Amino acid sequence: MTRLVEVPTQFDDRSFDQFAAAYAQATDGERLLFDAHAAEWASPYGLVGLLAAGEAAARRGERPLLTAPANPDVVSYWARAGFFREAGDLFEVHGKVPRTKPAVESDVLLPVTPVRAAEDVHAVVSTIQQRASAILSSELGLDPKATMGFAMALSESCQNIVEHAGTGGWVAVQAYNWRRKLARRVVVIAVADAGVGFRHSLEPTQAKRFGERWGDAAALEAALIQGTSRFRDPGRGQGLAGIRRYLARWEGKVAIRSGTARIAIVPRWDDDLPLKDGLPAFPGSQVLLIIPEQESGGGSSKQ
Amino acid sequence: MIPHIMVQAVLQQSVSGFYTDLVTRPTGRAVRENIERELAPGTVAVMDFTGVGCLDYSCADEIVAKLVRDKVKVLLLRGLTEAHREAIQPVLAGAGLAVLCERDGVLEGLGASEPAPALLDELVERRLAARNPGGSIRFTAA
Repeated sequence: MTRLVEVPTQFDDRSFDQFAAAYAQATDGERLLFDAHAAEWASPYGLVGLLAAGEAAARRGERPLLTAPANPDVVSYWARAGFFREAGDLFEVHGKVPRTKPAVESDVLLPVTPVRAAEDVHAVVSTIQQRASAILSSELGLDPKATMGFAMALSESCQNIVEHAGTGGWVAVQAYNWRRKLARRVVVIAVADAGVGFRHSLEPTQAKRFGERWGDAAALEAALIQGTSRFRDPGRGQGLAGIRRYLARWEGKVAIRSGTARIAIVPRWDDDLPLKDGLPAFPGSQVLLIIPEQESGGGSSKQ
Repeated sequence: MIPHIMVQAVLQQSVSGFYTDLVTRPTGRAVRENIERELAPGTVAVMDFTGVGCLDYSCADEIVAKLVRDKVKVLLLRGLTEAHREAIQPVLAGAGLAVLCERDGVLEGLGASEPAPALLDELVERRLAARNPGGSIRFTAA
């Protein structure tokens, strides 16, 4: 039997729970058909999340199917964003997919890129420093020195996969105008995997401390707010703390979804909830970092 | 003689491929292990970060904090960029550790504030540093 999992027409972190709810209804052995034919737009978070779903679905049963977006502009963008290069290994893709190479000069600062080992993180950090510097300083009004902090935040986000997921994952970085929410330019980092998730990773060292409260939400709280790690090494837990410091400095946002919970450090320009629990279950972890154009930085916002 | 470690060169020896960034725990571990082989316990060492691009928190902990915690008596850092300092400072401060670094020819602490004066005194006692008339301390050994 094949189960349909509809990809939201506007696929980003806000609509992800709708997607996760459809995914969560699948049972082992069912073949999944991810239907993106009506997709009109997808954020980097949506694209890497869809790949994570594909990997998890393949583990549970037959190779999943994917219907590519019907809109030529949309499917072309997904191709330029590097999505289909990765999707081809995970899904049986149906629909017209252009043979476009991932973008090298555009707002796609880093196309969808697999992260499996430390070498991948090196490559990602090296690429982003070459490509993001101009956009971060000239368009977002960040101090040119902030590029290095951006690379650090990206490195630590990707390392969560290498160190904790128990499987590979994907990262994508993009700049765009966020008219709906902020009316400013933003740079978005999205990282997703279909691995073990925060609760499983932290359970051996943290579950006892939380007692009955232990679950996905408590695990995210322990990792992001308290800086705990599954490793007993005293220097561990630096990565997420560093990301928080960097984003606090540039009024950015971090949100992490894992299992049935989602935690966020919410800047004043956003109205997201700091913690959501009881969400539809979704494998692994999905991390979102948003750095907005600085209000007094003199960024040249494009419309 | 004080060991003088060129971190960028050690990085090249430690990982396959040409990288200038010190990122990820495995890379930091490999670099630290290479450095440790050249250092006697309780030594004073100079680490030069010239040519190192991005330094992330994981590598700051894996290399700098662990060397200070487990291997060296005093660690003097050179060639640091502001971004390097921003990675190293919170990692050391969080662990109650400190190193010394040179800025405009003067030594200053980086990391937790409490251990830094003792590190400066140690260098002066070993005649590796001297006090300037204004009270600041300069490194004299190299």
